[in-house]
Amino acid sequence: MSGLEETSNESSELKEDNDFDVEVEGHVEVDYASDPFRLYMFYRDRKEWADLEPVPQDDGPNPVVKIAYSEKFSDVYDYFRALLKKDERSDRAFALTAEAIELNAANYTVWHYRRVLLQALQKDLREEMRYITDIIEEQPKNYQVWHHRRMVVEWLNDPSEELEFIADILSQDAKNYHAWQHRQWVIQEYKLWDNELEFVEKLLEEDVRNNSVWNQRHFVISHTTGYSSPAILDREVQYCLNQIRKAPHNESAWNYLKGILQDRGMSSHPGLLEQVLELKETHCSPYLLAFLVDCYEDALENNNQKETLNRALEVCEYLAQEKDTIRKEYWLFLQRSLESRFGPSAASGEPLADGTEPPAGQQELS
Amino acid sequence: MLSPLQLEEFEQIDFLRDRHVRFFQRTLQVLPERYASLETTRLTVMFFAVSGLDVLDALDVIDRNNMIEWIYSLQVLPTEDQSNLSRCGFRGSSHIGIPYSVKGPGVLHPYDSGHVAMTYTGLTSLLILGDDLSRVNKQACLAGLKALQLEDGSFCAVPEGSENDIRFIYCAACICYMLDDWSGMDIQKAIEYIRGSMSYDNGFGQGAGLESHGGWTFCAIASLCLMGRLEEALSQRELDRIRRWCIMRQQSGFHGRPNKPVDTCYSFWVGATLELLDVFQYTNYEKNRNYILSTQDRLVGGFAKWPDSHPDPLHAYLGLCGLSLIGEPNLRKVHPALNITQRAFQHLQQLQQTWRDNAGTCT
Repeated sequence: MSGLEETSNESSELKEDNDFDVEVEGHVEVDYASDPFRLYMFYRDRKEWADLEPVPQDDGPNPVVKIAYSEKFSDVYDYFRALLKKDERSDRAFALTAEAIELNAANYTVWHYRRVLLQALQKDLREEMRYITDIIEEQPKNYQVWHHRRMVVEWLNDPSEELEFIADILSQDAKNYHAWQHRQWVIQEYKLWDNELEFVEKLLEEDVRNNSVWNQRHFVISHTTGYSSPAILDREVQYCLNQIRKAPHNESAWNYLKGILQDRGMSSHPGLLEQVLELKETHCSPYLLAFLVDCYEDALENNNQKETLNRALEVCEYLAQEKDTIRKEYWLFLQRSLESRFGPSAASGEPLADGTEPPAGQQELS
Repeated sequence: MLSPLQLEEFEQIDFLRDRHVRFFQRTLQVLPERYASLETTRLTVMFFAVSGLDVLDALDVIDRNNMIEWIYSLQVLPTEDQSNLSRCGFRGSSHIGIPYSVKGPGVLHPYDSGHVAMTYTGLTSLLILGDDLSRVNKQACLAGLKALQLEDGSFCAVPEGSENDIRFIYCAACICYMLDDWSGMDIQKAIEYIRGSMSYDNGFGQGAGLESHGGWTFCAIASLCLMGRLEEALSQRELDRIRRWCIMRQQSGFHGRPNKPVDTCYSFWVGATLELLDVFQYTNYEKNRNYILSTQDRLVGGFAKWPDSHPDPLHAYLGLCGLSLIGEPNLRKVHPALNITQRAFQHLQQLQQTWRDNAGTCT
């Protein structure tokens, strides 16, 4: 429900005072500060709008979560509602949508109506691109604006501005989920893969802990070369380990490493376990140790050796008691689970104290 | 006898129930214009407040009947000729300008339609307020829901078109679950989309290829649980990997993505997911609690995403749910998939039993 979260956060960030100002009557006139010469004219007073009957909001006798709009806000939206009711297709309607958007860019009905008008009036879509660019720069965490941009790009069938635009948004917030989503859509839809790995590397140089960029790395490679070739896989493994050497306490790098290996034999990748054990001495982290446990588990699944199990249990103990104590109970649970699956009691099929059952069909101990 | 310093420390981490009750009461009344961006989602804001009061066991402070009427005024009902069935459901607010009405037939309007998240929170809010859903046109809601599902299994929010992703699958699953009728969605396709959203790091993104995130992971797992398909859709190995991704989100409280700051709402999104996966018991309750309470607004009530930040209804509600998960005293237990109290859930179960009994006796 993150859309709601994002919206609420924007709203909460607008608060000046540390409280709601509860205004039951709720009308605040356009004040002298923002309109000292009273240049702003309400729609209800404009001659060229006299033909339209404004439509107020109607919440009935007991409105809930009522928002106290100013006279200006209500006036704009009363006329928006009037236009909507008759489904008017006109330039004045188009112009009003921009005002309505400025007052509330999260109103998806206004955006939809604007799109209807864009098409009905055959508006200049290049100009619309400029418009939506400005709005997104102001409000980059709004769902509606990104969806609108996507629609315009599709109508124009022209993605040529997108990568640069998104890069600019990311330069302001390198983890903006909407921006990355739009970027993936553009790249996939218009096959713009060529320079993306380079973009990823540049961003990882800026911040090797940016999880969105690691995700993008996986996105690009899995859709281009893939990970099946040993050369690529090894290149990626080494890339990860190099980044880990530079910044050991980086969950993203470890998640990526595990992610690309977990279904390709973590414990059978040549030399990996040795490299990780070496790193353990100088670049240890909870993520390294968790990775080790997963390596041992993978090894145990193929060849249940008592020594491997003991090492796995030891690392769990080390995590629980020293290196990742916030997850102490989880590491102890994992320990019990490994013991139950691969330990001596597994052969006898007895459940353990916490009720974890060993699975049927245990591997033969070699 | 506590020393002055000990007393101060105690006050710092105590839970200010009455402030939160008043916070939600004010939310339900009037918000200033700077909350304009919430207009089309007012029903979800109502849900946060009403469910929040339920968790606090303070529903007695509001006029339930008046609120129920307001919710029903947001229902998009079929017109006389039933030509708008695929647009039925609940609106987020009166922003389109339909005249207030709690009964049908629906009014023909070129731009009036339901929104999947509003249908979901409309139904849950009615349940929480004790309504029996008898005025909900269930078939119309389901028809409206069906119209929103895409080929790839995901849902849009509105029939006019919108972004489509896993959030709306969750809303759809809740709607079908509450109405006890899964004809509103193609479950198999939804499961495929959910599976496709699993990232290489074993969390779930908003869709295929996208970065894994605590909120989307909740949507994925909770949806599968509501469908009753968790173990059919995901293998034990996958479930273990998802457990690991989720449990690594705890830093003090929880964050939503690796290397991001913690945020109160993830104490619910990730906490509830862990609970559904039976491993929430292995998290650190004390650190989680301390973080959530550090984001409590001691003056105004509610919770914020971070300490010393402004509270808002979403974080206030989810902060409470996060505390409820760890067993904070005097908070009602929350159903981790449906995100309503167990009390409201029992009301739903009783209702559904009545529907089944009535269906059994033919007229």
